[in-house]
Amino acid sequence: MDDAKNKTSLKARIQKLGTALSGMVMPNIAAIIAWGLITAIFMAEGWFPNKQIAELIGPMLNYLLPLLIGYVGGRMVYEERGAVVGAIATIGVVVGSQVPMFLGAMIMGPLGGWCIKKLDSIFQDKVRSGLEMIYNNFTSGIMGMLLAIVGVYVVNPVVNTGSMLMGEGVDWIISVHLLPLANIFIEPAKVLFLNNAIGNGILVPLGIQQAASAGKSVLFLLESNPGPGLGVLLAFTFFGKGNAKGSAPGAAFIQFIGGIHEVYFPYILMKPAMFLAVIAGGVTGTFTFQMFGAGLKAAASPGSIIAILAMTPKGSYLGVLAGVVAGAVVSFIIAAIILKHDRSTADEFEAKQQEMAQMKAESKGKETPTNLAPADFSGIKKIIFACDAGMGSSAMGASLLRDKIKKAGITDVSVTNTAVSRLQDEPDLLVVTQVELAERAAQKTPSAVHVQVGNFLNSPRYDEIIARLKTETLINEETGAEPKATTGSELELSNVKEINFIRHDQNIGTSTMAVSLFKDSLHKAGKKVPVKAVRLDELVDSSEHLVIVTKEAKKNLDIRYTNVQVLVVSDLLTDEKLAQIIAGLA
Amino acid sequence: MELKENMILLDQAPATKKEAIRLAGELLVKEGCVDERYIDSMIKRNEDVSTYMGNFIAIPHGTDEGKRFIKKTGISVIQVPLGVDFSNDEQVENLVTVVFGIAGANNEHLELLSQIALYCSDVSNVAKLADATTKAEIINLLKEVG
Repeated sequence: MDDAKNKTSLKARIQKLGTALSGMVMPNIAAIIAWGLITAIFMAEGWFPNKQIAELIGPMLNYLLPLLIGYVGGRMVYEERGAVVGAIATIGVVVGSQVPMFLGAMIMGPLGGWCIKKLDSIFQDKVRSGLEMIYNNFTSGIMGMLLAIVGVYVVNPVVNTGSMLMGEGVDWIISVHLLPLANIFIEPAKVLFLNNAIGNGILVPLGIQQAASAGKSVLFLLESNPGPGLGVLLAFTFFGKGNAKGSAPGAAFIQFIGGIHEVYFPYILMKPAMFLAVIAGGVTGTFTFQMFGAGLKAAASPGSIIAILAMTPKGSYLGVLAGVVAGAVVSFIIAAIILKHDRSTADEFEAKQQEMAQMKAESKGKETPTNLAPADFSGIKKIIFACDAGMGSSAMGASLLRDKIKKAGITDVSVTNTAVSRLQDEPDLLVVTQVELAERAAQKTPSAVHVQVGNFLNSPRYDEIIARLKTETLINEETGAEPKATTGSELELSNVKEINFIRHDQNIGTSTMAVSLFKDSLHKAGKKVPVKAVRLDELVDSSEHLVIVTKEAKKNLDIRYTNVQVLVVSDLLTDEKLAQIIAGLA
Repeated sequence: MELKENMILLDQAPATKKEAIRLAGELLVKEGCVDERYIDSMIKRNEDVSTYMGNFIAIPHGTDEGKRFIKKTGISVIQVPLGVDFSNDEQVENLVTVVFGIAGANNEHLELLSQIALYCSDVSNVAKLADATTKAEIINLLKEVG
C-alpha cells in the first residue's frame, strides 16, 4: 500500500516537473519563433542577409528568451511578485555566460518565485497595514538582487562547466572513432541550446580538416541533421495534445525547412523522456551516414534540409537523405510511444481529479448548506477571498476572517484576497467566493476547497471555517430548542394585524433596518403580517397593532396611546424577544 | 488613508440601487478620485456580481477593467436612512442603508475598508452609521475600530 502510494507520488512528481518545464517554455514559443524567423531570414547565411536586423539575433537569444523563461517560471510559483523576482534572478546567470542560459533560467525563475513566496509567508501577516507597498517592493527588490548575485557566482559557473564537459565528451568520442555515440552527447546538448557551441565550436573545425583532404566530412552532419527533431515534432503533431499539438506542425516547418532547430527544443524540455527519442534518432542517423559513407562539402548552416542538400557532394545524396529519414523515423516512433503512454497516465490523472471533484460535490449536495465534509479542511494553509476585481468585497471578507482567525488563536493560516481571474490552483487552499463567482473559482482552482458566501460581512460560514480549522471536525452549531415564549406571554399576539416600529429623527436608519430584518424573519417563518415604520404621531391606536420600541421611546408612546400592544426591547435589531414574537404570531 | 467629511453624503434617498451607486460614484468623481467612466464600471460590476455585502451595507466599486479610470484612492460614504434595495430579485429584499463607494489603487484603501468591514460586521453598528446625523459622527464611529 505504501509502496503503491510512493510510486504514484513519484509519477505525479515527474508529471509535475514536466508540466512545470512546459509551463515555462510554452508561453514563450512565440518569442522563440520570432527569433527563429529573424535568424533564418536575416542572418549572414540566411535568405535575405541584413546586417542591421541580424543584430537582434544575439540579444534575443541571450537575453530576451532566458529572461522570458525566468519570468514565466517565477510567475508559475508566485504570480507577478514571483515573476519579477524570477526575472531579476535570471539576469544573474545570463550576463557573462558563454552559452544561452535557458537551463539557468529554468532554475532561477522558479527559484526566485519560491524564495519570495517563502519570505512572504513568513512576513506578510506581520506587515502593518499601510506599509504593504514598501514591504512588497523592497523585499522583492532585495531578494532579486541576492539571487542575481548567486546566479553570477554559483549557477553560471556550474552550467558553463556542464556545457564544457559536453563538448569535451563529443571531442573524445570522435577521437576514439565511435561516431554514432557522439549523438548521445550532441542531442541533449543541442536541446540545452548548446547547438552552436558544439556545431561551430567542435564539429565544424574538425569537419573542415577532413573535408580538405577527403572532399567531404560526415562531421558536418552530426549536429545539423534535422531528422531527429522532425520526428519528435511530427509525433507531437499526431499524438500530442493541447497547445503542443497545435503548434507542432508550424514548428516542424520552421525546423526542417527553415533550419532553426531551436523551435523543437521546448517540446523536448516539456517531456524530458523525449531526450531518448532524439538521442536514438541522432545515433541512427549518424550510423546510417557512416554506412553510406555520406558527408557534406562544408558546414550546412542553418541545419535546414535545403542547406544540407546544397552542401551534399554528388553521389552522397542517397546516403545523406537516408540518414535524415532514418533519424526522423526512429525518433518519431520513440516519441510516439512516449506520448501515447504518457497520454494514458494523464487521462488517469484527470479521471482521478474528476472523481475527487465529484466526491466533493456529492458531499456538498447531501448536507444542509452549512456543512462541508470535515476532511475537506485538513491541512488548509491558505485562504483566499476571490471577487471580481479583488478590490472591495474580497478585501472586506478577508479582513474579517483574518481578524477572526487571529482571535481564535490560529497562526498557521494566511488570509489574502484577489480577483477570481488571478486565482491559482495550489494544494491546501481554501477559496471563499460569492455564489455568483463559485463556478469560475472552481474552474480556476479545481484542487482547492471552496466555500460560497452570500453575505460577506455576516456570513455564518466564517465561524464554521474557524471551527473547522480549529478542530477539523464538525461542530454542530444549530441552536437546539426553540426559545420559550416567556416575554411575549402577556401580549395577545393572535390579534396582531400589523407590527410597527417607531421612526424618529435619531433612528431613521435603525428603524428602516429593523423593519427589513423583521420582515425577513417573518418571511422565513412563513408568516405574513405587515411591518411598518411610522412616526409617533402616525400610529393607529388599536390593539391590532403591536409596537416594538426601546425603553426610552416607550415613555412617549404611553403618553399618546393606550390601546396598542407594546413590546419593549433593548435593541431593535438583535433582541431575542423579536424571535419569540415571530414564533407567537398568527 | 482617512475618511474625510467631504467624502460623506448624509440623508440621501436614491430610488434605485443604480442611483445609489451613481451618488457614490459622483462623489468620487467630484473629489478627483476617479474619471466619470468609473461610474459606469461600478454599475456594470454591480450588475455582474452584486456588491451588496449583507448587514445593510453595499460597497460598489469598478470592474477589473475599470481600474484604469482610478486617479487616486478614495472611499465615499452615502447614508440612505430609508434604505434602498440592492437586490436583483423581486422576491428578495437586500436593503442597504449605508453605501461605500470604493476606488482602490495600490491597496491603499484596504486599511479603511478593513475597518469598515470589522465595524459593520455587527449590524447594530451599521444602525449607528445609518442613524448618524452629522458627518463627524460617522467618521468617529468608524474610528472606534482601531
